[in-house]
Amino acid sequence: MTVHGYAQSEMSATEAESLRSKVQIAATNTQTISSDFTQYKHIDFLSNDIESKGTLTFEAPDKVKWEYSTPFSYSVIFKNKTLYINDEGNKNSMDLGSNKTFKQLNELITSSIRGDMFDAQRFTISYFTKDDRSVVHFLPKDEQFSEFIQVFHLTFNTKGEVEEVKMIEPSGDYTQIVFSNRILNQPLSDADFSH
Amino acid sequence: MRILVISLFFVLVGCASYPLKNGFSPNDLERNEITNPYFSDTTKDYIYKTQVSAFDKNFGGILAIKKLGEEHHRLVFTTEMGNTIFDFTFKENEFIVNKILKELDRKILVNILKRDFLAMITQKAKIQKTYKKESKTLENGLILSKTHLFLTENGQLLKIIRIGNGREKVVITFDQISQNVANNILIAHKSIKLRIHLKAI
Repeated sequence: MTVHGYAQSEMSATEAESLRSKVQIAATNTQTISSDFTQYKHIDFLSNDIESKGTLTFEAPDKVKWEYSTPFSYSVIFKNKTLYINDEGNKNSMDLGSNKTFKQLNELITSSIRGDMFDAQRFTISYFTKDDRSVVHFLPKDEQFSEFIQVFHLTFNTKGEVEEVKMIEPSGDYTQIVFSNRILNQPLSDADFSH
Repeated sequence: MRILVISLFFVLVGCASYPLKNGFSPNDLERNEITNPYFSDTTKDYIYKTQVSAFDKNFGGILAIKKLGEEHHRLVFTTEMGNTIFDFTFKENEFIVNKILKELDRKILVNILKRDFLAMITQKAKIQKTYKKESKTLENGLILSKTHLFLTENGQLLKIIRIGNGREKVVITFDQISQNVANNILIAHKSIKLRIHLKAI
């Protein structure tokens, strides 16, 4: 994986406000998203990141499906406030302990798409620019949650769309999810979120 | 009298050691220690998609294992999305829980995981007894002062069996072996409903 060493600088209050409204407008105009993603799990003592790939499907206001296809088959669907898991054919299996993390991540993704993610009550938020992209850091204020994830970094492109999510654990290990081939507002059906 | 003889027969067979019960015969020691090659390469990341069935509940994740030095392994279990569930260090005789989800932080569970994973990754164990049956060899060694039997065939380690009261307690089966990597591993408990299935990715 290539890590770009470009410096990032903190945004002014005006720039941050401008980003928030840009994300809000993009969100209002987004009903559905289909996107590929590549996930890099970085664990400090491993020689290589663990790489997995799949697709993300989103339908406003809050249906999300993460479907991993390589190197394993696994999907997790959030709909009707329920978490559905298909682990290589094992359906409805309990997802241990991570429900809260998944829910919060899901809320963060869906909120970012809807444009109301900038919740200062739940997160300490800081804004940066990095090349032509915007990077926003969300530090969870909930102590229990920050035991899992110390900080989320969301990277937005110039259109105000989420390009990358990085979840950094207190140990410094992190999960980075990079989106590609995004298709907006393509009609989706229930089958796209079937379990 | 006949009933007594039959009972005595069952008692004797029941008390016989696991190897004898399974048709193995005692043999001279051919070596002093056995080597488990499956987690022995410090340059390798051992990554497994893992499914756990525990007391009729199923969950999955990714298990990452790395040998960091002589008698030194690190083992991390995360969700598919990468959130750490537990993180253990095995170093010589020391066992360190670097992290574990609060919900799982129960002494009994941590001990089970410690015993299972230590048996699975321990690279060298001293052999006390050897048994043979055709091309199969069972070698008896101790891990955390419990008897473990190492089943090999033509030099390939196929199973590690933890024995208690002459019975199988835990059976670790190594399968789909290629270049010292076991691509399929099953840890099956015989006295509790717990199975951990690892598939290399």
